[in-house]
Amino acid sequence: MHIGVDVGGTYTDGVIIDHDRVIQTVKIPTKKNLAHSIELVIAQLAANNGAENIDKIVISTTLITNLLAEKKHESVGLLLLPGPGVNPADLNFVCPTVVIRGAVDYRGRIIVEADLREVQQAVEGMLAKGINSIAVACKFSQRNPVLENKVIEYLGQSYPRVITIASHRVSGLLNWLRRANGAALTLMISEKYHFFIRQIEESLAKMKICCPIYVLKADGGTLPLELALQYPLESVFSGPAASALGALAFADKNITSVVMDIGGTTTDLAIILNGVPLLSERGAFIDNYPIPVRGLALTSLALGGDTSITAQNGRVSLGPRKGQAYCLGGPRLTITDILVYLGKSDISSSEEVVGALGELAGSLGRKPQEIAAEVIDIFMDTLEAKLEEMFHKWEEEPAYHIWQVLSQQKKRPAAIICLGGPADGLGALWGERKGWDVQIPPYSPVANAIGAALAKTTLRLELHADTEQMRYSTNLGSVGGPLATKLKNTDEAKQFALSIFRELSDKWSLEKDYTGNIPETIYEESFNLIRDWHTSGKIFQIGLQTPSGIQTVLHPCSKKAPEGGAKQ
Amino acid sequence: MKKTGLIFFPAFDWAISETHPEREERLLYTRDQIFEEGILDNPKILEYKPRLATNNDINRVHFCVPDVDSQTTSAHFISAGSSLKLGDALVNGEIKNGFALVRPPGHHAMRIVHGNRGFCNINNEAILVEYLRAKYGFKKIAIVDTDVHHGDGTQDIFYHDPDVLFISVHQDGRTLYPGSGFVDEAGGPGAHLKTINIPLPPGTTDEGFLSVCRQIIKPALAVFQPELIINSAGQDNHFTDPLANMKVTAQGYAKLTEELKPDLAVLEGGYAIETALPYVNLSILLALAGEDYSKVVEPQYKPHELKQSPETTRYITQIINYWQEKLAQDAPDKESLFGPNRIYTRRRNIYYDTDQISEEQQEFVEYCPDCPGLYRVISGAKKAYGRDYRIWGISIPLYACPHCRHRAYELWGEELQKKSIGNGAYDFYCLQDK
Ligand SMILES: [Zn+2]
Ligand SMILES: [Zn+2]
Repeated sequence: MHIGVDVGGTYTDGVIIDHDRVIQTVKIPTKKNLAHSIELVIAQLAANNGAENIDKIVISTTLITNLLAEKKHESVGLLLLPGPGVNPADLNFVCPTVVIRGAVDYRGRIIVEADLREVQQAVEGMLAKGINSIAVACKFSQRNPVLENKVIEYLGQSYPRVITIASHRVSGLLNWLRRANGAALTLMISEKYHFFIRQIEESLAKMKICCPIYVLKADGGTLPLELALQYPLESVFSGPAASALGALAFADKNITSVVMDIGGTTTDLAIILNGVPLLSERGAFIDNYPIPVRGLALTSLALGGDTSITAQNGRVSLGPRKGQAYCLGGPRLTITDILVYLGKSDISSSEEVVGALGELAGSLGRKPQEIAAEVIDIFMDTLEAKLEEMFHKWEEEPAYHIWQVLSQQKKRPAAIICLGGPADGLGALWGERKGWDVQIPPYSPVANAIGAALAKTTLRLELHADTEQMRYSTNLGSVGGPLATKLKNTDEAKQFALSIFRELSDKWSLEKDYTGNIPETIYEESFNLIRDWHTSGKIFQIGLQTPSGIQTVLHPCSKKAPEGGAKQ
Repeated sequence: MKKTGLIFFPAFDWAISETHPEREERLLYTRDQIFEEGILDNPKILEYKPRLATNNDINRVHFCVPDVDSQTTSAHFISAGSSLKLGDALVNGEIKNGFALVRPPGHHAMRIVHGNRGFCNINNEAILVEYLRAKYGFKKIAIVDTDVHHGDGTQDIFYHDPDVLFISVHQDGRTLYPGSGFVDEAGGPGAHLKTINIPLPPGTTDEGFLSVCRQIIKPALAVFQPELIINSAGQDNHFTDPLANMKVTAQGYAKLTEELKPDLAVLEGGYAIETALPYVNLSILLALAGEDYSKVVEPQYKPHELKQSPETTRYITQIINYWQEKLAQDAPDKESLFGPNRIYTRRRNIYYDTDQISEEQQEFVEYCPDCPGLYRVISGAKKAYGRDYRIWGISIPLYACPHCRHRAYELWGEELQKKSIGNGAYDFYCLQDK
């Protein structure tokens, strides 16, 4: 049996799944101590189903976001070794920086040695300002980490109390700015994150649960808890991934669809292509700071079930949330109330809103049904515009190969899976308007927990191997180094990539039965290095991945009656 | 905030041949540098997906022999199409300027295309100019070619067009391919001084490069008043380029870009793929986006080795003086330039280095008081391999008068008539109506 737990801002949800059936669901208010919320949820699920029967737990939390928002994290400084290029002063670094002499080029060659006297000066300055955690980021450190290592080693010897991290340990992404921010953020949160994970481990041990535990990543994959300590940032923004996967729980395995998650104040949209959530092209941002993590390609509407409706300057106007729906005792009419009025929601009866809507319509000299139609039109038009924007962005993803430009036009989804309170009503109205296939999955209130429980473990490996420099690097932090043998052709390079992939997949606990342990090849290319009319080496680029998605499609009927707020 | 549009199309799956300078590897390190900088996360830069140009876009400019498809690959359609996409974004107001960082290049491709010349089959900038004029009604456009090689293809295409100012700065043709681009090639009689060649001596540095920009190019643009400026941004003036002998740096290219303020820049040549391209492409992109490029300094940069000799400076001063005087003179009237026969004719041989083709060509431009006049060409090619074709072509200028337009169709009809009764001297008859 698998457990999924989703810690949201208001509620913590849990679900336990046996093969393809939901056995039990739990919903509790989120406590201040997130680990405690998780413990409570798991305890409830374990009590009814037996701790010994649980073989996997996946957790999605907002912990990282909370830690960063609280600003109680460690005070961190960045030592930058940029070499030639953009002025670092113009880049969006997440913490104070000092630039040090020292540079590596795109082939991993040292072009300027690191200046340790400058490092010393910089560190003294940082210590004086109360900074005692230092991240080191050298451009192209994934191609050759030698300068970052040299600085880290020096810091370790001269300032043993300073906590350090090198950017190549965090990520191998070809984006120095994102790696640097990733390293700094990792330092900021790592102590509290360690503490959180220890808490979880201890409480599970107390409950005699000893199955593997995973955290959900922003891309919808899962990461074993031990590795989450090494790559804590990966679990940031896992909420939308949990919701998208949860939406897939009862859909066709290879569905192509939009997922619309309607909250109180906003509505999130994601795209699913053949059962796989579409990822953002470049990567995620935390407060405008780019980070080396890819999340889902999301678009949001500033409209939700509690969006308030008022008359302004003689017109209907949609505004921010003032409270819950009028029919539930809130202060203003909301989109939810309009759905109630139209008979598209059964949370209340239309008599509850007729009066207020009549009054609003009267103040505008119009009929209530006109106002209702207009509110729905505004929502649908906004949704249509946002979908268009999202599809356009997806279709316009940059292409660096001929085959990508020539490949068939991307086929847009014409199905929508709706989650959230007003999902049935707004989904049905969208379906009527556009002729789309509309799905409202069961257990919608705990969809995120279901998504976490069903998430696949994923791994994406991008190998860059240079047989002239005899070095390789990857997109993953700490995975890279000298080449032991000269790879002769693309086949050999691919075999090498596969061997790294297999080694990692054991460490990452990839499920062999689901992936067959055979990754999909995203790309494979080789570059002839011609110097003085002779081939002096080759550069290979191989991309392998197991895509994210759900392990099993669920059966809509539960074995037992669902408990705790789930509805069917 | 107005953005700088970028289309990066390194064509990682295309090469002229395995060892050719135009191979997959060419923009690999440029990719590394630009991605690693994190500059694509800068909201001032907006990256676009490339698209294909159409046969129609290409036929607006070229007579491809025997047809477009046999002279192009998908890579050519994408490289040309990328500029068009940025052109659309510029006109729509999505971007303030743009950089088509694409390959393959195009500025050696002439109006008639029998094969590949100087790594080029079709002319990206010319296709862009004619697209923008046909689609959006632009009239006056300037092309400034800062590749180290003379932009002989672009010159050829616009040689008789008074509404396109073509300026090429390059290493002197006596010392470098394609061996043309001298000051006396200054436009046909109907487009007098609308071609400006600035041949520079080997060893020219940033100083000389920028002084011709400030003292010839900028004043010429100020007089011409183009609606758009397009930069053929070749990067082989770089001090490490293996095919040429100049001493320009990434800083020099960036300053030139900053001062020239092109609306669209299109990559041309540049084959120092490790020592120049990653840095020059980055510095041009930063200059277009209005970002600080002062720290883009090549690892090989040694100021004392990049000093301009007094001799070189003297030579450059002479060229500047020549052009300043020439541009200050009153232009002679068009009729007298056409001469008593009121027709311009030129017979020449054109060599296609890459494909080893020798073309024999004869051109005729008719004087017309009301428009740039009809252009006719006959051409045949001797090939080392493949079939030889002879073609007859006529081109109606974009702003042709009704008389010339009518006459063009008449002449074309006559030729087709001859062919239909078995009297045709050519394999193909082409009419270009822009
Ligand atoms: Zn060139
Ligand atoms: Zn005319």
